[in-house]
Amino acid sequence: MRTTVIVTALGPDSHGLLAQVATTIAEQDANIDDVSQTVANGMFTMIMFVSFDQSETTMAQLKEALEATGERIGLQIHVQHENIFRFMHRV
Amino acid sequence: MVFITAEEILETVSMIRSENLDVRAITMGISLDDCAEREVRRTAERIHAKVVRRAGRLVDVAHELQEKYGIPIVNRRVSLTPIAEVVGSDDPADLVEVAHALDAAAEEVGIDFIGGFSALVQKGFTRSDAALIEAIPEAIGGTGRVCSSVNVASTRAGINMDAVVRMADVVLALAKRTAAHDSIGCAKLVVFCNVPEDNPFMAGALHGSGEPEVSINVAISGPGVVRTMVANHPDASLIELADLIKRTTFKITRVGELVAREASQMLDAQMGIIDLSLAPTPAVGDSIAEILQAMGLEQPGAPGTTAALAMLNDAVKKGGTMATSSTGGLSGAFIPVSEDAAMARAAASGALTIEKLEAMTAVCSLGLDMIVVPGDISRNALAGVIADVMAIGMINSKTTGARLIPAYGKQVGEWVKLGGLFGEAPVMPVSAAGNDAFVGRGGRIPAPLQSLTN
Repeated sequence: MRTTVIVTALGPDSHGLLAQVATTIAEQDANIDDVSQTVANGMFTMIMFVSFDQSETTMAQLKEALEATGERIGLQIHVQHENIFRFMHRV
Repeated sequence: MVFITAEEILETVSMIRSENLDVRAITMGISLDDCAEREVRRTAERIHAKVVRRAGRLVDVAHELQEKYGIPIVNRRVSLTPIAEVVGSDDPADLVEVAHALDAAAEEVGIDFIGGFSALVQKGFTRSDAALIEAIPEAIGGTGRVCSSVNVASTRAGINMDAVVRMADVVLALAKRTAAHDSIGCAKLVVFCNVPEDNPFMAGALHGSGEPEVSINVAISGPGVVRTMVANHPDASLIELADLIKRTTFKITRVGELVAREASQMLDAQMGIIDLSLAPTPAVGDSIAEILQAMGLEQPGAPGTTAALAMLNDAVKKGGTMATSSTGGLSGAFIPVSEDAAMARAAASGALTIEKLEAMTAVCSLGLDMIVVPGDISRNALAGVIADVMAIGMINSKTTGARLIPAYGKQVGEWVKLGGLFGEAPVMPVSAAGNDAFVGRGGRIPAPLQSLTN
């Protein structure tokens, strides 16, 4: 079964942040479906729609790997199932 | 596929990470209708077995949902059929034995609290009601996770003043029984008017007779989110502010709806209700008092507090009811004193009094909640305070509760540390004017008229 999660990353900007997050996602056999990224006043903000097949990886594994990457490169990275965003803002 | 904007995604993340948005409790209601046996020991065993069987996965499911959605689920709880309706005994020792079985079951499944050590006595006592009430000091004082509630009044029945007086004695005995821990036992006991049958919040949760076999009730929270939104709009008129609060509580409630739907499916239980409450914690920013301050009051208790709270409470409900068709429980802004650090500070400064809190509870949840009173308060004074809270609920057709803590050995102005989510609060003064002759009359205050409502 295919699952879509939303990855958000926030923190001070530096070179190669998007590349490192994307690499971690690739290593976990997950796919980046959509990405948006901005830098404002030195703060890096990124939103990714990431999907994966549960036979290849799990949300827990992806989350652990991304949190480790976030710690290494100075970003707060959150991984949440897409439904919370869909549910919260619409009936 | 529903389109989600980047702004909405970042708003959701910020609400959770920076503004303390959480699911306050997932509470599984379990019917004990099939647990009654002739022997109390056997009844206790059956209750224990059923709680462990039905709620065995509750903690794991809450953890799974927390990880999946990245939102904290603070408490996992179980509410039960009022024990006095299940255990047909007139011996308080039997009820204490059942309380220990509940405590053991709660510990085994790893939940925070188990509610339902309860009786409904608004019109009178059965023999087991009387035994349960007599057992409360030992049952609640001698266990860690069992919560108790007694409904002594309703709009349809009036106020059972004999029960009010009896509960004042029980509260004082429980305060003494747990004196070594700042009378914390009283935080696990609520005296109710119009008790809801589907409330997920402790200490007053019970699984009423109109409820299904097993249900999942979810308590949402988010005072911090509302406070931030109000603070970010200092120039908004009150009508604009009401609209902003509605929009915010809509979003908070949607999260509760999502968690309730999924948890009930995973636990093979009927989805019960979403409790649309703003429940504070002692954490900075997670406070109803701070919302009132952001609205423009220097401290809760200032003139205008009741009006501000009325608007807040109404807007919360309006936003929440758009977000779910399963509202229930207590649904409203809570005004506990010890559990809300800014509320406790206002009480310590003298800005907030018990009398003002009484007025405030007429327009919101939940009554006089987590209020510390002098340990040497007389039985009749305590009964009078409880009766006043019951009267507000009875006349206004709403739930009110009294969770009062006579801090054994402490005087007005001294602080009592209850710990954890119970927080801390100063001992508040209660009027010293006598009421012995009134309370001593006993009997029942009749049910009120529901017309001519001025």
